[in-house]
Amino acid sequence: MTTHPIIRFSNATFSYNGHEALKDITLDIFEGEFVGVIGPNGSGKTTLLKGLLGLIHPTSGSLQIFDCACEELRCHHRARIGYLPQKERTDPNYPITVWEAAMMGRYGAMGLFKRPQKQDHEIVMESLEAVGMADLKDQAFGQLSGGEQQRVLIARALSQRPDILLLDEPTTGIDAATQRRLRDLICKLHQQFHLTIVFVTHDINLISGIVETLVVLKTRLHAKGPPEEVLTKAVLEPVYGDEVIIAKRDQKPYIIVRDTHNHA
Amino acid sequence: MLELLSYGFIQRALAASLLIGLVCALIGIFTVLKGVTFIGAGTAHAAFAGVTLAFLIGVSPFLMAVLFGLSTVWVTTFVQEKGKMKPDVPIGVFYTFTMALAILFIGLMKGYRPEVYGYLFGSILSVTSLDLKVIAALSIGILIVLVLFFKEFHFISFDQEMAEASGIPAKRLSFLLLNLISLAVVIALKAVGAMLVFALLVIPAAAAQQWATNMRTMIIYSALIGVGSSWAGVFLSYWLDIPSGATIVLLAATVFLFSVLFSGKRQKARPV
Repeated sequence: MTTHPIIRFSNATFSYNGHEALKDITLDIFEGEFVGVIGPNGSGKTTLLKGLLGLIHPTSGSLQIFDCACEELRCHHRARIGYLPQKERTDPNYPITVWEAAMMGRYGAMGLFKRPQKQDHEIVMESLEAVGMADLKDQAFGQLSGGEQQRVLIARALSQRPDILLLDEPTTGIDAATQRRLRDLICKLHQQFHLTIVFVTHDINLISGIVETLVVLKTRLHAKGPPEEVLTKAVLEPVYGDEVIIAKRDQKPYIIVRDTHNHA
Repeated sequence: MLELLSYGFIQRALAASLLIGLVCALIGIFTVLKGVTFIGAGTAHAAFAGVTLAFLIGVSPFLMAVLFGLSTVWVTTFVQEKGKMKPDVPIGVFYTFTMALAILFIGLMKGYRPEVYGYLFGSILSVTSLDLKVIAALSIGILIVLVLFFKEFHFISFDQEMAEASGIPAKRLSFLLLNLISLAVVIALKAVGAMLVFALLVIPAAAAQQWATNMRTMIIYSALIGVGSSWAGVFLSYWLDIPSGATIVLLAATVFLFSVLFSGKRQKARPV
């Protein structure tokens, strides 16, 4: 890991729909770092991502990405940030193939008025191969399973050739076995492409074994550190209340939180 | 049949319906996929109000239709951002506001003005050669912009936020798209009428979506359905002496119903 912060929050406060969703965040994320962001509902996880995407700006303090103030992010910067949004139901009738969806990742880098070139085709093919979806490239996207759709959207993000990959609850609404396969895929891609990854999830146990750093949000930055330091009763109880139980499984901490999420 | 094709008004009607059917079917793809069909309905009624005002004060109806149509998009976008509300609310307000204006302007006119009703119900068989030139110029303009920004429009229709996050100027392109939709409605106004133009925008794309699994087939099916029902409508309305706009829309709606009932797309879904 290098010592250069690729993302730098300095006392940043973000407002969303009129209230302060994230307060006074100071946080450095380094090139190639794999960061998990956890926290209960409404703790500001999605706001953090929207800030990183340049969709909202801090009301005070600053956020720098690629040594550039987030207010100044230009399209070519954004093209270097891959993003996997929280899964919504895609219209199953939307007329788009796996290939077309993955190719959209190139549009930002290509620029206006340009058509995909040979190089773009190669990158998209490589991305689809990396997520194991190359064989289904001519399938209709809407007819894939939830896990397959997520793979395609990851390939779309990879097609951007990003430096940073932002994942917002990528495993919601997907069965447990597929969740683990997706997690392992993300882990593999982190090493293969030397990506800086910010993985936002409410599922602590899914990522605790793979991330280098865990960030705990509760409107403020509650804790940050390696998983073994963060996943303790002293750190988690003030955030999740007394309903958090820390068990051991395979010598590793296993966190049980009374889940108040209303995931459909 | 050949004799029919030698009539100037039939030639103009066919040329106009080719252009209108094609432009509306292609713009309609993004209108339907992006889920902004309401802007089409709003624009149509606003443009009609523009036409009534034009007849009242004696200026070009087409110019006023363009002005009122585009202002629907501008006002809606402004109010939506200013008031932080869903776009269907300002559209609903503007839609009824302009309809009220249209009724007011008609009331202020002296005597019965049949041309006004032509714009309400459409009359493709009465398209003049000047009309046709205007329709052709605007259609070509819209098609050029559509081709230039095609991949971006596709992306923002699939996922606006993802497009913006990955470096596409999504907000500005979305605004451009709404303006194109509005212009497409205006050029189709005289041919099919303010009441029915919405159908020409939405039905071909909606029917095509029942069959298409990728963008290429979506374009082909939507264009075929749009142009096909427009041409068939022109001939049928002439032979049976029935209103042309209504005939075109009824044909397109029949294709839509048939597509919903018989599309094999859903049955083709891969077993998991």
